[in-house]
Amino acid sequence: MAELSDIALVTQVAVLHNKRAFDQLVRKYQSPVRRFFLNQTLGDEQLSDDLAQETFIKAYVNITKFKGISSFSTWLFRIAYNVFYDDVRSKKQTSDIDSQEVARISAFSGDAGLKMDIYQALSQLKEEERTCITLQLIDGQPIDKISDITGMPQNTVKSHLKRGKDKLTDYLKANGYDR
Amino acid sequence: MDMTDKDNLLIEEFFKQAAQQQIEDNGFSKRVMDSLPVSQQEKAHRLSMLWTVFCVVLSVVLFFIFGGWETLKASIIMVLQTVVTWLSVFLTTAPTTEIPVNPVVILLLVAFVGVYLPYRTYRKLSAAL
Repeated sequence: MAELSDIALVTQVAVLHNKRAFDQLVRKYQSPVRRFFLNQTLGDEQLSDDLAQETFIKAYVNITKFKGISSFSTWLFRIAYNVFYDDVRSKKQTSDIDSQEVARISAFSGDAGLKMDIYQALSQLKEEERTCITLQLIDGQPIDKISDITGMPQNTVKSHLKRGKDKLTDYLKANGYDR
Repeated sequence: MDMTDKDNLLIEEFFKQAAQQQIEDNGFSKRVMDSLPVSQQEKAHRLSMLWTVFCVVLSVVLFFIFGGWETLKASIIMVLQTVVTWLSVFLTTAPTTEIPVNPVVILLLVAFVGVYLPYRTYRKLSAAL
């Protein structure tokens, strides 16, 4: 069967409650969504998969709210962004930073060196900076899409990108990546 | 501090491999699909299906319990007997009756039933599909 467009699949899910169509959407977007969470959680695979699962469930439950103004991927990333920051807020209220650090380090075990380097570099950034940087440099999203996903004005996105890149440049130079 | 092109290149090169990384599914999609909640419409559809199956099974059981098969058999035999009787009366009386038959009318009737009606049905089905 020919691959249907996202809009056609979303219509089938919303109108006909076709779970096979939603399965196609999950298979198509599982990699970018899980990668987004891996970058935000600095490599915590278990937490990333849990948050990605929650993202897809929320997308399924609220699929009728998708109006097609933005692309489906932008809408999905926006849900992912909200899921991540809901998780961050709930953890800030209930736990200390040390426990997150332990989870992060244990999740690193077995990862390739470069992955560890990337997560180490991303850990130098504030959460908003990290989100903007990874959306642009890893997920390839333009500034207007990052603004749509995060709900931040484009100038704020640009500021986060600028500060984040400055910090990354300092970090990479300090660790000999410019040689 | 101003970003130079060299700094930009350094950062882009650093994230290049991460940007190309594809995460294997490894059962993730199935776990998501298994954990999707059942919507109200799906619940209603399932209940409707169950109710239909229940009614069909109940009808079949009651049909046999109350001798439905015997009644049906008797009805079929009665209809057949009526048809046979009618045909025998017709065949017995037909040769003595003169019925004026116009071959053109018969030809038009055959053409209408055999050609025009199937053509119209085909057109309607094509338009519907």
